[in-house]
Amino acid sequence: MRGPVAWWNDPWRPPRFLVGITVGYLMWSLLPVAIAVLYSFNSGRSRTTWQGFSFRWYWGDKALSVWHNDALHTALLQTLKLGVVTTLITVPLGVLFAIGIDRWRGRLPAGANFLMLISFVLPEVLLAVALLFVITTIALPIELGTVAQVIGLITFQVSYPAVLVRARLATIGPQYEEAAMDLGASPLGALRRIILPMLMPAIFASTVLVFADVIDDFVLVRYLSGDAATEPVSVKIYNTARGAPTPALNALATLLLLAALTAVVIGFLVYRYLTRGDTTTADRGIGAFAGEG
Amino acid sequence: MPEPTSRRQFLARAAILAATAPTLGAFLQACSKNAPSSSQPSMTLAAPDNPVKWPIPDDNKPIADGLAPEKGATLKIYNYADYLSPQAIKAFEDQYQIKIEVSTFNDGDEAITKLRSGVDYDIYNANYTEISRLVNGGLLRPLNHSYIPNIKNVWPSFTNPFYDQGWQYTVPYTIYTTGIGWRTDQVPADVGAMKNPYDVFWDPQYKGKAAVLDDWHTTMAMVLLRQGITDINTSSDSNLKMIGEQLQAMVKATSPKVTITAYNDLPAGQLGIAQMWSGDIINAQSYLPEGTGPEILRYWFPADGKGMVDNDMLVTLKGGKNPVLAHLFMNHMLDPEVAKENFSAIGYQPPQNSITPDSLVKEEFIPENLRTAIVKPEYFDTGYRLLELDPANDAAWHTVWQTFKAGGS
Amino acid sequence: MAVPVIAAPSQHGPPRRERVSRLWPALAAPGILWLLLCFVFPLYVVLCIVFGQVDPLFRTPIPVWNPLQWDPTQFSYVLTHIAGANGIFGPALLRTALFVVAASSLCLLVAFPVAYYVARLSGKRKGLLLALLIAPFWISYMMRMFAWVNLLQNDGIVNKVLTLGGLLNVHVDWLTGQPVVVILGLVYGYVPYMILPLYAGLDRLSQPMLEASRDLGADRFSSFWRVTLPLCRPTILAAVLLTCLPMLGDYFTSDMLSASPKTAMVGNLINDSVHAPGRTGQAGAFVMLVFLVALLPMLYYIRVTSRRDEVAS
Repeated sequence: MRGPVAWWNDPWRPPRFLVGITVGYLMWSLLPVAIAVLYSFNSGRSRTTWQGFSFRWYWGDKALSVWHNDALHTALLQTLKLGVVTTLITVPLGVLFAIGIDRWRGRLPAGANFLMLISFVLPEVLLAVALLFVITTIALPIELGTVAQVIGLITFQVSYPAVLVRARLATIGPQYEEAAMDLGASPLGALRRIILPMLMPAIFASTVLVFADVIDDFVLVRYLSGDAATEPVSVKIYNTARGAPTPALNALATLLLLAALTAVVIGFLVYRYLTRGDTTTADRGIGAFAGEG
Repeated sequence: MPEPTSRRQFLARAAILAATAPTLGAFLQACSKNAPSSSQPSMTLAAPDNPVKWPIPDDNKPIADGLAPEKGATLKIYNYADYLSPQAIKAFEDQYQIKIEVSTFNDGDEAITKLRSGVDYDIYNANYTEISRLVNGGLLRPLNHSYIPNIKNVWPSFTNPFYDQGWQYTVPYTIYTTGIGWRTDQVPADVGAMKNPYDVFWDPQYKGKAAVLDDWHTTMAMVLLRQGITDINTSSDSNLKMIGEQLQAMVKATSPKVTITAYNDLPAGQLGIAQMWSGDIINAQSYLPEGTGPEILRYWFPADGKGMVDNDMLVTLKGGKNPVLAHLFMNHMLDPEVAKENFSAIGYQPPQNSITPDSLVKEEFIPENLRTAIVKPEYFDTGYRLLELDPANDAAWHTVWQTFKAGGS
Repeated sequence: MAVPVIAAPSQHGPPRRERVSRLWPALAAPGILWLLLCFVFPLYVVLCIVFGQVDPLFRTPIPVWNPLQWDPTQFSYVLTHIAGANGIFGPALLRTALFVVAASSLCLLVAFPVAYYVARLSGKRKGLLLALLIAPFWISYMMRMFAWVNLLQNDGIVNKVLTLGGLLNVHVDWLTGQPVVVILGLVYGYVPYMILPLYAGLDRLSQPMLEASRDLGADRFSSFWRVTLPLCRPTILAAVLLTCLPMLGDYFTSDMLSASPKTAMVGNLINDSVHAPGRTGQAGAFVMLVFLVALLPMLYYIRVTSRRDEVAS
């Protein structure tokens, strides 16, 4: 039976304090959301007093539920539309950009790299205001609306796949490519047949992460929105939360959460399938999936 | 690490940049959307003692008579949130087999910016403080009266209002007063009986419970009225300075929220007392949680009518794609039954001949404790109207408001 | 990177290796073009509006494209109204700095122990914990703030808990202009953004090095202070930048958690003036200021990391 001093000095004792902090943090982080999801099943109109369980706000209520309220429908569709279109364009653009910058030497790519890093950390509102100015003062064929929102989102998100792919390229190293070229492949062939398959995990990770990030984007889509049909769910939540929200809003946010979760789960399963023989990502699990490693 | 740029290279590049910038500038000038607005830098400002009949330019004539409504269209309405009855919308949709899409804005400035950027709304809920800018900016389509026979149901003064003689561009939508609303369980004092009820916003006992309207003209005008200054469109520098100081004092005393959603926050218990429009307090009844009755709500407006009185209007926009439907919708909202239903949905009173203060009391449409929120026609004779300000004065007022909203100085 | 090849000139054109250099620019070109058009050019437009004119009637901004004709009135208006007798913007800017510093420090205090535990000490449960840590990313930021608005309402759960079921009479108005609430809101919103890079960096630390210091007799605290912390300094720097800089543009947290001017940040200044007639130029000026403030730490960071790479290689 060791005394407390020995217990304190033991370097291999379980870190109860850190465990406590971690558990506390997780609860603080996820509990409010759990409560919001819970209240989306409230049978009454309140978002703070539990009045019984019902699916009223999902499809029950004839006027206000998500299923019956056209405005909420449109918002959901707009969110998904933005997510899919943006991801489809951003990921190839970012991946090619990263590969090109990584292999190209010189000042121009260094400058481009710097530009990409800046766009990664810049507050979103700066980009949103700048693009708003461009669209409202220059006679482009683009109006405020979905196209403008997509352009803004791509610009904001393109650095995400670029950074992930560059990190992965750094881990892979040049030896596979050089071996291929020694064996007679052209650079393009080596790229296509060796590097791209090895980058698949990073590409998939960035696809899923960009999608999840876009469907919950707020600042850009709000500034660049046209009429109400182009307002996605995040803007609807913001507009209504300051006015007279009903639990239908909780329901909408829960549905969005499910969409994001589904996307991520699918992405993760595909990732596991693709990397089942890959030793560089063997023990990393979800960490590698998130691009950290 | 890339090799450092030599000075010669740097200078060469800087020279190239300097040379291309003006060319780029000229190129962009050609693509630019906004030309500086031509002619006079001053606009015609309407006032009750200076009524204005707007000109109708030749390239902006009203639509022809007897056209059929557009089929299968989407009518786009631009309005405040919670300011149009869903039932009225549905009835119109069913009648003409079309869809209606409502977009919302938070304040007039934001709305006008959006309108000028070219979004193609059909109907806009305007305030007459914007009419000069709307007409001069070519944003409005003049009305063809043959589509709107229901105008006969509206108070006669609105067929020839000072801000739009001959109702060429507008139809009235709602009328309202600006006063103070409170709930007796949080604010037991009888605010209406006080010598100067506006003082409550400077009274520290209401700290954390108060709110003022997020509308620069209305809130700043309230400060003027509190001091007994009745020119609520003043351009006097000393008055504006006083307003700024008083707003700071108000923040120190009661730290009020600045919002237009008091109609939800007051019944929810977030607020105890708020500067509100008369329609807000009537609307607040439907936002009370279950178990709380409407008898705790109160509203005060000067009994002699010497307070702020206003009306909102509907206009149709030049860029809208469904002009016939827009006219028909305006007509729809002027129908007495629709207007009454809209009243019960949004709380704001329409200027219908069939809705008089007596009839509202008799039908018990408005509970006893909120009778003060009924808008009487006499108010329009004695009340003070917020008017459109000329650009310089508008800028001065906005500067004071901006200081207040930045929480500074 | 590629081994330099000295090839004898051949009749079949340049050797294959030298054609490598044209592939990479071709791949990078679309991305570079996009960033130039949609990122750099809009920033130029912002400058043109800040230094441009204002329509006398509608007070909408008129951009001036030629730098030689730029008019500094609007920009100098903002600069002169930051401090001194007319300092209307000063408090908001100061408040932003304060909020961001406070929130970032709190984020670090929370994120570091959690990241450290999950990265190094959690063993079998690492995957699950990581999934839970990443979860907030896929829950809409609006939804998370909205959830807190629910809880902090006067009749919400926080007040109910504080009254301990009726024992105490606590009635705090959480949602009316409380800076503490806004700071905590910022922490809540941004701490996931800090945890992930910290996790990644801590994950890569070599355990043997840490164990070595313990083996050599250092106690727990000095081992942490003198070995672990310096090793993860670059990670901490990156994580702080990744969290701190986006926070500078935040306005909706203050909007949703307290609709009061008392907690207005520079993001609110921008948001309020973008659509206001006559003040769009001021919004642009604030955008420029925030951009400069965000740029400098980034430049410093890139210098530091590239110098470190130099040394390392």
